[in-house]
Amino acid sequence: MLLLTCLRRTKTKNFYNEYVNKTPKKLKVIDAYLLYILLSGIVQFVYCLLVGTFPFNSFLSGFICCVSSFVLAVCLRLQVNQENKVDFAGITPERAYADFIFAQLVLHLVVMNFIG
Amino acid sequence: MILALFLLVSIFSTSLAQGPTLVLLDNQVIRETHSIFFKSLQERGYTLTFKIADDASLALSKYGEHLYKNLIIFAPAVEEFGGMLNVETITQFIDDGGNVLIAGSSITGDVLRELASECGFEVDEEGTFVIDHLNYDVTDQGQHTKLVVPSDFLIDAPVIVGVNKDVAPLLYQGTGILADPENPLVLPLLTADSTAYSYNPEQPIKEYPHAAGKDTVLIAALQARNNARVVFSGSIAFFSDEYFESPVKKAHGGLEAAKSGNEAVAVAISKWVFKEHGQLRVKSVKHHKVGESVPPQAYTIMEDVVYTTEIEILENGQWKPYTADDVQLEFVRIDPFVRTTMKRKPSGEYEARFRIPDVYGVYQFKVEYDRVGYTRLYNSTLVSVRPLQHTQYERFIVSAYPYYTGAFSMMLGVFVFSFVFLHMKDDEKKSKKE
Repeated sequence: MLLLTCLRRTKTKNFYNEYVNKTPKKLKVIDAYLLYILLSGIVQFVYCLLVGTFPFNSFLSGFICCVSSFVLAVCLRLQVNQENKVDFAGITPERAYADFIFAQLVLHLVVMNFIG
Repeated sequence: MILALFLLVSIFSTSLAQGPTLVLLDNQVIRETHSIFFKSLQERGYTLTFKIADDASLALSKYGEHLYKNLIIFAPAVEEFGGMLNVETITQFIDDGGNVLIAGSSITGDVLRELASECGFEVDEEGTFVIDHLNYDVTDQGQHTKLVVPSDFLIDAPVIVGVNKDVAPLLYQGTGILADPENPLVLPLLTADSTAYSYNPEQPIKEYPHAAGKDTVLIAALQARNNARVVFSGSIAFFSDEYFESPVKKAHGGLEAAKSGNEAVAVAISKWVFKEHGQLRVKSVKHHKVGESVPPQAYTIMEDVVYTTEIEILENGQWKPYTADDVQLEFVRIDPFVRTTMKRKPSGEYEARFRIPDVYGVYQFKVEYDRVGYTRLYNSTLVSVRPLQHTQYERFIVSAYPYYTGAFSMMLGVFVFSFVFLHMKDDEKKSKKE
C-alpha cells in the first residue's frame, strides 16, 4: 500500500518535472489561459446553481462562451504543438493563431447577440 | 271613434308582442273548462287560435315560415293530428325555436306519447294514474288519484314556477312521467311524494310500476339546446278552472287551503314556457388593455386585460340589465388558463380584469352562463396572444451581471493571451538562436 502511494507520488512528481522542464513556454501560456477559462466557467455554473436560471439566455451565452473559448484554445494548442507537426503538416503556427482569432471573433459576435 | 281605433291598435300591438299561439283541443268544451288559464294568456297579450286537434286545416307553417310562435296542446285523447300536423312537424317546430305546452291525462294518446319521448320524457301507459294512498284530496272518488301535492315538491327555480314558493298545495290528477335524470336539458318541475306510484287503478298490481316514489314526475320541462321550451304536464285537469278555484283539503288532515295553488303555478309555468321569464341575451362585449379603449391587433403575453360584457334580461317585454354575482369569464386555449368571476359595475356591465398568462397562442374569451330556467348564454371572442418582440425584452438584469462579466472577461482574456502569446514567440526564437 505504502509502496503504491510512493509509486504514485513519484509518478506525479515525474510528470510535473517533465512538464516544467520539457514543455515549451508557448504551450505553458496556453495552459495558463485554459486554466483561467476553466475557472471562470465553473464560477458561472456554480452561480447559476445558486441563483437560478432566470436570465437563461445570459447564463447560456456566458457559460457557452467559456466552453467554446476552451475548445478553441485546445485546438490552438494542438496545432501549435511541435510534436503534432506530422498531423498538421500544412498549418503553420501563424496560420493556427489567425484561425483562432477569427473563430474568437465569430464566437464573441454570437455571444454578444445572445446575451440580451 | 278615434279612441276606439287607438284601443284597437294598442291591443293589436300588445298581442303581436307576445306572438301568435295555436291551441289544439280535444273538443270545444275544454275551452270553457279551462277558461281562466286561456283568459290569463289573452290578458297578457297572446293571440290564441283555437282549433280541434284533428281539424283537417291544421298547419304550423306556411311557405316555410312558421305561423305561430307557441303551441298549446290540450288534447290528451287525440290519436292523430289533423292537417299538416304530426310528430315530425312539431319536432321541427321546436327545432326552429317554437315553444310547446302539452297536457296529457290518463288517456294520453300515442301521438302525444311519441312527441313526449322526442323531448326526453316517458309517459306511462294509457289508463294509468299517479296514485298516492296517503296524499289525496277529500273530494277524491275513492281511487286516490286526485293528489294533493305540497308546493315543496316544485323545482327550486323561482324563474320557472314563480317567485313565491309557499303557494297553497296543488291539485293533480293524471298520468306519471319519467324523466331521464342523466339528461341535463330536462327539468322535473313537479314531482310526486315518495308514497306515490303510477299504475292503472282498475287493475291489481302485477309488475313494478312505470314510475314510483319521487321519480314520478308530474310536470316535466325541456329547454332545448336552441333554448326552445317544452313543458309536458301529465294532467290536463291541473290547468282547469275547477282545480284553479277549488279548495284543497288533504284526507286524514294536514294540508288545507281555501284555494289551490294551481293557478299561480300554472300561470308562472306558462310565462316561462312562452319565454316571458328567464330570457337572457348578451348585449355587448368589449375587451382591451388596461388604460386603453380599443382592442389591439394582438395581445402580448403578461399584459393586463379588461373584459366587459353587458347581459340583459327580458322583463315585461323590455330588455333590462341582468343582475347576478356568478357570471364567470374563461380565457381558453384548449384548456381554460384563467377562470374568474366577473364583477358587476354600477353601470350594469360585468367586468373582469386579469393578466394574460406567460404562454402565447390563440385564445378565446368565453362566457358560458347556464342556470336552471334561464336561457343558456354562450359567447366567445377569439384573440391572439403573441410573445414579446425582440425589443421588448428586459436588458441589463442585475442577476445576470456575472454572466456579462464572464463574457467580457473571455474577450479580455483573448486579448491578453494574444499579447503574451505573440511576444512569447519572439522570446522563443531568441532562445532557439541562443
